[in-house]
Amino acid sequence: MAKVVVIGAGFAGQTAALYLGSALGKQHDITVINKYDVFGYTPSWVWVGVGQMNPEKTTFKLKPVYDKFHINFLQGTATAIYTDDQYVLVERSDGGGEEKAAYDYLLIATGAKLNFAGTPGLGPRDGYTSSICSLPHAIDTRDRLFETIARMEKGERQKIVVGTGHPDATCQGAAFEYITNIHKLLEKRGLRDKADLLWLSNERALGDFGVRGLHIKKKGQVMTSDNFIRSVFDLYDIDWQVQKGVREVEPGKIYWEDYEGAEGETDFDFTMLIPQFLGPGFTYYDKDGNDITSKMANKGGFVLVDAIYGLDWDTLAETPEAWPAVYQNRTYKNIFAAGIAFAPPGSISRPHVNPNGLSITAAPPRTGMISGIIGRITALNIIDLIKRGRMTHAERMSEMAAACIASMGDSLWDGSAATIVIYPVVPDPRTYPNEQGRDMFVTDMEMGLAGAWMKRMIHSTFMHKLQGRIGWKFVPE
Amino acid sequence: MTMKISEKEQKYMNNKIIQFWRFIVLNLKILKAVDHSKRS
Repeated sequence: MAKVVVIGAGFAGQTAALYLGSALGKQHDITVINKYDVFGYTPSWVWVGVGQMNPEKTTFKLKPVYDKFHINFLQGTATAIYTDDQYVLVERSDGGGEEKAAYDYLLIATGAKLNFAGTPGLGPRDGYTSSICSLPHAIDTRDRLFETIARMEKGERQKIVVGTGHPDATCQGAAFEYITNIHKLLEKRGLRDKADLLWLSNERALGDFGVRGLHIKKKGQVMTSDNFIRSVFDLYDIDWQVQKGVREVEPGKIYWEDYEGAEGETDFDFTMLIPQFLGPGFTYYDKDGNDITSKMANKGGFVLVDAIYGLDWDTLAETPEAWPAVYQNRTYKNIFAAGIAFAPPGSISRPHVNPNGLSITAAPPRTGMISGIIGRITALNIIDLIKRGRMTHAERMSEMAAACIASMGDSLWDGSAATIVIYPVVPDPRTYPNEQGRDMFVTDMEMGLAGAWMKRMIHSTFMHKLQGRIGWKFVPE
Repeated sequence: MTMKISEKEQKYMNNKIIQFWRFIVLNLKILKAVDHSKRS
């Protein structure tokens, strides 16, 4: 009987757990370790943050799902991994102390550690900014936004700033959704003229989203995501500033540096800034008790896998096979990492270091569909290894398609969303020798009410899928 | 370069019948993208 441990129950971890449970649950020992006892549907926290969705609609209890799939659930926080002795040290959430979770195969799918401390003054707890990166944050952000709206109702003009709160932040898509949803909310309440909205981002250009932007063909003409987002911001009267790395936040003031090294500040009354994402930050020990963390994870705590690391960006951009295929650690072949937890070989967008030595680079996104696909790949390979002794599944981000529905108003009657289909996520200039290294036939983006319907449909289908309900395998990740 | 979204385009984006058609097309596009992925 093999023991499989999955750390994390987000998109990657939950997808993997369902595949593992359905294939191995009855014969083998599958355990999921997660800090919370609920799954949180991250993409809809944008709507929680503007008060358009009840928080309860974005969660479900994990235990009943795991019972159905013969999966053990250990609620707690993994702190250390003993790679030779093959166990995970877990601090139980119920105050029951530490517990060892033994494994033959380990999948690390923890999602992001939100590094608010990386930017002084950032974050809802110890800082002055809001966040929609966790459910409690989204609820708190909603309340703060409503306080801002109350001031507008009294006639006060308010400045709202949304974007990235660290020079190396990712997940610009979520911030884009948030600012456009705020616009729609204020418009509905007749308060849009009482607010100045500003987009502040570390992207090289608008619409970069950490994937080097997009080029699409519309009616024979090539349109870029830069043009697309500009036209949206123009329509919504949203000001924008890019190539800005936020260094510090004080009450009412954001301090940043730009690509040229110039320093500046931006005032705000309400701000939601995405923090830097870090890896899980476990400590790894070998059989002699030596700390081998530097061999298992990069400086950001992301788990090293079967990627080619250390290439300069120009070489990486020409080497799609540098991206990992099976997400397996090279030293410990029974350890895998999925979703945000794995260490990418570099950024997809061209990095930039300003004259002061500050790196201002949109990090590669590995959330949502990408996380789900990698969760499936790693689970199927673990199943392969247990049943056949060899892996048969592989999918690099340079071979992977992703769809992103960026909500711009949740209403099913007059809402809107930008539907973005991208293939492959990481450009492959060898297979697609065009300007962007992507399949121009598949890669597409458009805006309209249909996107709002898509976004709502995807919320329902994913909540259905990730609870392992009838037909869950037929819903693509 | 900023491409203005014209009033005609805005009407298109909120026309229920057209958008129902786009909803079907977008679903097919996503399924096609998934199919283009290796799905290994």
